[in-house]
Amino acid sequence: MSENINNEALDEALQNEVPHDKTVRLMSPTRMVVRRFFRSKLSVVGLVMVIGLFIFSFLGPVFYTQWGEIELDESGKTEYSVSSTTYEVNGQEYTVRQTTEKYLKDNFLAPPSAEHILGTDNEGYDVFVRLMYGGRISLIVSFIAVFLITILGVILGGIAGYFGGAIDNAIMRLCDVLICLPGIPILLIISTILDASGIDAKYRIYLLMIYLTFISWPGTARLVRGQILSLREQEYMVAAEAMGFSTSRKIFKHLVPNVMPQLIVQMSLSLGSMILYEATLSYLNLGVKAPYAAWGTMINIISTNQDVLQNHLNVWVPAGICIVIAVLGFNFIGDGLRDALDPKARR
Amino acid sequence: MFKYILKRLVMSVFILLGVSMIIYFLIRLMPVDFIQDKINAINQGGATVSEETVNAMYEMYGLGDNSFLGILKGYFSWLSALARFDLGTSFVYGIPVADVIFEHMGVSFAIALIATIFEFLIAIPLGITAATHQYSFRDYLVTVLVMIGISLPSFFFGQMLKDIFALKLGWFPASGLVDATASYTGLSLLGDYIRHMFLPILTIVILSIGPRMRMTRTNMLEVMNSDYIRTARAKGLKESVVINKHAFRNTLIPLVTSLAGLLPSLFSGAIITEQVFDLPGIGNIALDAMNRGDIPFIMGYNMFLALLSVIGVLLADLMYGIVDPRVKLE
Repeated sequence: MSENINNEALDEALQNEVPHDKTVRLMSPTRMVVRRFFRSKLSVVGLVMVIGLFIFSFLGPVFYTQWGEIELDESGKTEYSVSSTTYEVNGQEYTVRQTTEKYLKDNFLAPPSAEHILGTDNEGYDVFVRLMYGGRISLIVSFIAVFLITILGVILGGIAGYFGGAIDNAIMRLCDVLICLPGIPILLIISTILDASGIDAKYRIYLLMIYLTFISWPGTARLVRGQILSLREQEYMVAAEAMGFSTSRKIFKHLVPNVMPQLIVQMSLSLGSMILYEATLSYLNLGVKAPYAAWGTMINIISTNQDVLQNHLNVWVPAGICIVIAVLGFNFIGDGLRDALDPKARR
Repeated sequence: MFKYILKRLVMSVFILLGVSMIIYFLIRLMPVDFIQDKINAINQGGATVSEETVNAMYEMYGLGDNSFLGILKGYFSWLSALARFDLGTSFVYGIPVADVIFEHMGVSFAIALIATIFEFLIAIPLGITAATHQYSFRDYLVTVLVMIGISLPSFFFGQMLKDIFALKLGWFPASGLVDATASYTGLSLLGDYIRHMFLPILTIVILSIGPRMRMTRTNMLEVMNSDYIRTARAKGLKESVVINKHAFRNTLIPLVTSLAGLLPSLFSGAIITEQVFDLPGIGNIALDAMNRGDIPFIMGYNMFLALLSVIGVLLADLMYGIVDPRVKLE
């Protein structure tokens, strides 16, 4: 068990120690984990993917200022439509061709060009720029959700595991109930409530994700509780008890650091699933709503518009690819961390 | 054993009560005039919600009285109706909610069942090769491929398959369950069903192979490191016998347990996939009803889902005890 992660004192002691043999190099558990993490190609690939997306969505709009998130391209476009009608007069056939020239204010569904790197969508927004802003929303929202879920899970799972008894029972039964709540249908209801209360389109996704954390913490709580239950029986906890340490010191200095490895893995894996969740909500038009951009919202259009689905791949495919890269990146990192933190794997 | 099952059943009832309370109070958070708006929208949309149905719902949910006591009273009147197996009448469909659910459950179940069978058929061999060739190129390839599958959003992947194979190539129909323009019978009808269900099933299978493959791989790795495998090898058994007879059988325990837990959820419907391919499954129907504010249906459908997951957890635990005799249920 990598018991001494974060334990600086031990790190120092190990560094100062003189090896018996010059060929043996002493390494702190943290350094070993880091080394094992970077040895796996997949986790490095995942890290590169996630960092790349972060740079793209947070620094992108700073340097690429040609278009804004909700800035329409009003350069206009002309649409031609040709219709022909055939008349039959006195056995003679006449064909009348009519060309209609329609001038439209917004330059929508423009193909990719120097001006619009990925073209414009069906409203006339620049797809490339909206990808960046959409990424900001997706990444921020999932980080907030995972952060809140972890805090709630650690506190409630920790209390349940440490104190046991009636408190444990109450918290675990609450977990049982919450785990049986169907996710997307419940969020549909909450979204309807948000609609009815007339909340600003810009903030509803944040509220929705906060509600999501209230039904998603049981997974983390169960994990933390299970860990603490087994850690409580360890000798060093008996020692801590014998030393007369305070409860908070026992929980936060001895138990929580030892749950951290599992927690970190769980967090990076749930970041991926939160991004998927947010994208699905936005796709169902429950999350981020027009005119604001999110990756899911950008794909939403194809559920009603067959023309975009078939002929304007530049509008929706890039958003889908971004979602896949983000989720895959977090999954690779999570997997790499799990292998790196696994005390049984000594490779 | 009997006592254990009885205890779990009683607990399940309490869990369902808790779930129903949460869903009910959430629904009551919707403003009442908002509900009226939704009913008006349904009326304008062609379907008619009769005055009687609305009144019955107001009665059943005790709407109109939004004080705490009123909500509590409404909850208990809903609960007593539920005890008589009465979930109310759906606004959108005009028939009892339970009938709507049972009518559309079959399609969802058929698709989910076929998809699950294929998932296991593909995932188990993949997991075994990945485990027996740990850290090889093959292991990495399989792992990366299934990880991509896990990371695909169902709506994106489904729409992509639909765009390529249905709309561009025209190999499969893009939506629906049967060809409305042709009247097939017998075998050709079955063929038509298969053609319609192929893409949705492919979507579900690709997206969910991942977890099962990884589960097989992890379990297989654990078993391969155990003493009796070393013994089997030491006896000079062929590697294929060691893997297929000694190792694989023991990886089945968690797989069978997970299958038992999965069974009820097959009825719940895949909301997104059904929406993408416009299938008349329960998920798609529910999404439509929920978007239109069909309150009796929302309540009924959510309780149905909760019931399925309670049964799933119970089955998984019981199965765990049956498959693995070392586990004692208490």
